[in-house]
Amino acid sequence: MSQVTDDEIAEATEQLGVEPSSAIIGRTPWQIFWSRFRKDRVALGAAGFLVFLVLVALFAPVIAEHVVHHGPNDLYRETLSDIGLPEVGPSVEFWFGVDTSGRDVFVRTIYGARTSLIVALLATGVAVLLGIILGSLAGFHGGWVDTVISRTIDIILSLPVLLFSIGIAATCSITAEGCLGGLVEPGVSLVTMIIALFTWPYIGRIVRGQVLSIREKEFIEAARSIGARSSRIMFRDILPNLAAPIIVYGTLIIPSNILFEAALSFLGVGIPPDTPSWGRMISEASRGQLYTVAWWMLLFPGIALVLTTLAFNLVGDGLRDALDPRTQVTG
Amino acid sequence: MVRYIIRRLLWVMVTLLVITLLTYLIFFVMPPTDPAINFAGKQPTEELVAEVKRQFGLDKPLLVQYGLFVKRIFLGDEYGWPGLGFSFSTRSELKPVIFERLLITVQLALGAAILWLLVGIPIGILSALRPRSIFDRFAMGFALFGVSTPVFFLGPVMLYIFWFQLGWLPGSGFYPIGQYGFWEWFSHMIMPWTVLALAFAAFYARMTRGNLIETMGEDYIRTARAKGLSERRVVLKHGLRSALTPIVTILGLDLGALLGGAIITETVFNLQGLGNYAIQSVFSGDLYAILDVTIIAAFFITFANLVVDVVYAFLDPRVRYT
Amino acid sequence: MKKHLTIVALLAALALVAAACGGDEEEPAETGATGATGATGETAGFTQGGVVREELTDFGFTNGFDPTGEYLGTAWSWYQQMLIRGLLTYPGRAGAEGNLQVPDLATDLGQVSADGLTITFTLKDGIMFGPPVNREITSQDIAFAFQRINTESLIAQYGNYYCGTIVGMDCSAKSQDEPIEGIETPDDKTIVFTLERPTGDMIYRLAQPATYAIPQEVAGCFDKAGDYGRYLIASGPYMINGSDQLDITSCDTLEPISGYDPDKFMQLVRNPNWDPETDDVRLANFDGWVLNINSNIEDSYNKLLNGELDLLHGAPPAAFLQQYLTNPDLQDNFFSEEGDRTWYITMNLLVPPFDDVNVRKAANYIVDKAAMLQATGGESSGLIATTIEPPSVLPDLADYDPYATPNSAGDVDLAKAAMAESKYDSDGDGVCDDPVCDNVLMINRNYEPWSEYTPILQDNFAEIGINLKIRELDVSTAYTTIQTTENLIPIAVNAGWGKDYGSPFGFNFFLFNTAGDSCEGSVNYSHIGMGEDLAKECGPKTLAAWNAVTDNGANPLPNVDADMDACVALPTGPEYNACWAALDQKLMEEIVPWVPYRWGAANIAIGDTVENYQFDQSAGLIAYSQIAVTNGLTPEELFGA
Repeated sequence: MSQVTDDEIAEATEQLGVEPSSAIIGRTPWQIFWSRFRKDRVALGAAGFLVFLVLVALFAPVIAEHVVHHGPNDLYRETLSDIGLPEVGPSVEFWFGVDTSGRDVFVRTIYGARTSLIVALLATGVAVLLGIILGSLAGFHGGWVDTVISRTIDIILSLPVLLFSIGIAATCSITAEGCLGGLVEPGVSLVTMIIALFTWPYIGRIVRGQVLSIREKEFIEAARSIGARSSRIMFRDILPNLAAPIIVYGTLIIPSNILFEAALSFLGVGIPPDTPSWGRMISEASRGQLYTVAWWMLLFPGIALVLTTLAFNLVGDGLRDALDPRTQVTG
Repeated sequence: MVRYIIRRLLWVMVTLLVITLLTYLIFFVMPPTDPAINFAGKQPTEELVAEVKRQFGLDKPLLVQYGLFVKRIFLGDEYGWPGLGFSFSTRSELKPVIFERLLITVQLALGAAILWLLVGIPIGILSALRPRSIFDRFAMGFALFGVSTPVFFLGPVMLYIFWFQLGWLPGSGFYPIGQYGFWEWFSHMIMPWTVLALAFAAFYARMTRGNLIETMGEDYIRTARAKGLSERRVVLKHGLRSALTPIVTILGLDLGALLGGAIITETVFNLQGLGNYAIQSVFSGDLYAILDVTIIAAFFITFANLVVDVVYAFLDPRVRYT
Repeated sequence: MKKHLTIVALLAALALVAAACGGDEEEPAETGATGATGATGETAGFTQGGVVREELTDFGFTNGFDPTGEYLGTAWSWYQQMLIRGLLTYPGRAGAEGNLQVPDLATDLGQVSADGLTITFTLKDGIMFGPPVNREITSQDIAFAFQRINTESLIAQYGNYYCGTIVGMDCSAKSQDEPIEGIETPDDKTIVFTLERPTGDMIYRLAQPATYAIPQEVAGCFDKAGDYGRYLIASGPYMINGSDQLDITSCDTLEPISGYDPDKFMQLVRNPNWDPETDDVRLANFDGWVLNINSNIEDSYNKLLNGELDLLHGAPPAAFLQQYLTNPDLQDNFFSEEGDRTWYITMNLLVPPFDDVNVRKAANYIVDKAAMLQATGGESSGLIATTIEPPSVLPDLADYDPYATPNSAGDVDLAKAAMAESKYDSDGDGVCDDPVCDNVLMINRNYEPWSEYTPILQDNFAEIGINLKIRELDVSTAYTTIQTTENLIPIAVNAGWGKDYGSPFGFNFFLFNTAGDSCEGSVNYSHIGMGEDLAKECGPKTLAAWNAVTDNGANPLPNVDADMDACVALPTGPEYNACWAALDQKLMEEIVPWVPYRWGAANIAIGDTVENYQFDQSAGLIAYSQIAVTNGLTPEELFGA
């Protein structure tokens, strides 16, 4: 069965004396998706914000040094009172004020963007990868492999997440090498591992479900009947069909992972102190109700966190709407 | 059907047992330090540490400890049933403490749940009925903020505004209704309920809207309309039922997770619930307390899952055979 | 409860009448249950009555409030100032005076034999246990307290002050009933201690709450550590609310006293059996005391400022500290007393680069102690520490500052000069260039103000080329981590050390003696004097580190055991202190295990209702035995006594 090309349609309609409208020219699913996404202005705006955020994160060291002239861990102790309270709020010298150690809150906020982005994207990437691998294995092979993986998923989803995160983090913080022979150290690697550990089951379950349903479809049977190997079927026929749901759930997970990392940092078990993290900055501002004395320590990292999460949510929404054939996308 | 329930119940048991074992591993086997040292005083000599270990039952092999713990949960210990053990820190029994803490978490969770259902679902419905109207846009905008704003930020912000600056509401802390009267209790719960409910309300609003819009596109709705039923009847009687069914199941799962302790809300507002107690116990190395809290949290989650699955199996016979 | 009081009052009245009519026989007259007149003469002018109201975020008891093993200073204060009595106690005063014993149950400070091996005490007459035990305290009750310390299962957390020192005590007795060879009670009023060797500060050890009178008929029922705490029988002016409800007919009838809930509160009311005539120390001005657990510390301070509480102990959160220091109305409501506690950075002699004494000296020069003090709240949090023992414990070293830097802010040049002598600085420029200086693990606590030290110390040590990797842990994990020798933690700032009692031995001994070193639970974090046997016992990493540092035993680690033995033998007094001062100097200049940075202050915030504020130096809390409150509340209305 050959595909009718766009040119052939255009030619045919011309011969009929009718203007070929773009609606009947065949497009690939990706082209459809992209044009729909482009029409969603809110999502585009959010995507723009994310691009801006990535740029700020990338150039944070440059901004810190050449524009503001403060480092993220530079202590300006002259801005503190005798009892160690920050006396300088948003001002010309310190755009977002200082914290209780005399550090520039603006610089730490933009550095915090790096932490949030790196952790969220890395963790989500690992989670998605794990989810695809294990979910497909489970769905495709069935039998005891499926049972083991599905039961593992069930158990992980029943664990009290924060408690176990704290426990694992505490354990891995004690020795110099961390856990798993130095692979996992307190910091980005530990937080990434914890987040990935608790979020891959969501992807895994979805993937497994999709694989199961696709597996039964006729075109797979057809492929099998002509002697295609399992791995070929897996890669050429099943995986491409997973792309859409994975994008959907992946984008759902990124903002919640951003909040997850911030929550862990808030509880003191995430990123260690020298790396700025929004969650940790918020935690420092709320201990002892410090925000009653230095509101800027709470507001700026918090707003940054909300805006970033919001942007990811909007982009995610936009992507989902663009992928879903049933929703009508308007400008 | 019965066989399905039994199979699921057995699986719940297995899950809880595995979780208990994992808790032992993570909190007591993995750390390279001996928790008993913590409870042997300021200058813990080897003899003192050894005796503490013996009294706390920590000198037995891991599997034996684990087995004893499981046995005590089912058969009770020297303090009664269920055998929740004693606290290493206070040397007194855990059962009354855990139940009191649980009660407070329940108050927090139920109050928030009522709030988010009352707010989220109507908003979702109204938005679905008028898609892309001003109301819809505002509502969904609010919902987006809701799911993007974490409790540990919104909580302090609300405290700052309503307690510190305006003085309309009292600060953090839990004031039991029996001891302090209705208003003291209620006024202290308003902010925690609101903050906790917000993210869920937002999520439920979005979900309700999405489900309802999808349902409204179904054929049987068109049939109902074609039959001449009023729009209101169509929506409320036919559309809502199927739109809300998935919501009920999500509600079960969310409540299950919350009853194990809303750790961050309780920390931010200083509520003496189970979540707060869990953090405290982890930080002080109080093994039985950690195990108890974990078991309870896991129990609620798995039980909620079980109920949800059974309800689904009841509604859809195909599910029973997977 | 009201009915009970009436009956007691009635009985008291009857007893008074009986005594008046029948002349003085065995039982002295009981004074009324309320409104005691206090110790003769001293209460003149202080308000009587009222209830002292306090809050804490957590009791923090280390042994469930069972005095035999309880190590928390707060608990000691409540024992000594309000609840129980022993041979000796403390007067409830600030300064050096407050750290010296006064007789309580005993008639004097004990008669020491010429060879220093026996100490004899005579008990006063007519001191009774509170309800429901209601009998006179005898010397057997003191001996019984020691028998409990000696019992293995009761985990006497400071038992090593007695075991190995008093003849016959080894802390491994299997039962509380086993008598101790070195403690004799020839009659009800006499007790004789026999020691293995002359021990200069024995008198301090005999003033510890674990040695206070305990009734065997109640405590004998509890042979597991921590259990007796909920059944504590009083002998002081106050008892736990509900003690009289205790059914002591047998061990099985005992229920925990209602006035103490380990998660929620402790309530004390007057002990009707306390006779002020027998007590020279305690004024017992108030009628009751209540402590509620409130995890919300800001809430507690708000209540204090509102008049709903009378006092609070501990460092206030920064926003409140600011109020107390700047608001003129609150000037007299906040105190920073000498806390007899040193906060320090400890360095591990087994782990490079801190195995080199020059590096340790450089550390002492580089740390910005002024910034660290500022981070904890400035001067209200204490003084900058210059040596190990705090000046209130060892006044001889008040001006001693071996690593002085301008403004105590650290000095890069002095530090580099010290580092240049080190083998880890091959080019002598004062900056470490050996790979062992990269990624040096440092343990810290994960909450304020300790978390504020992290950026300061990171900066400081970077200047001499030591790149710190700071891990912040919760306080318990931090301690157990550095106490587990095999972890080989190079350097840590989470630790502080407060005195057990006011003699320099009590402060220093376990920190630097090999007796304080072990594999799990070591407090000799620097491992001064560690020998090969212990290194082998602790594990392969420890042994490897020990071999590397001592050159397989050829260069043993510095050891101060002999110096300490020489000091311990001396009687307390100027010579004793001078001996310990010399040891401090040796430690600071030749061995350098620590960078001490702060001598902690004890903060107390009081409301306007508190009268006769005194600071009890021995336990580091307000002197409950001296204060009065003017709030006029009664125990009945507050908690239904």
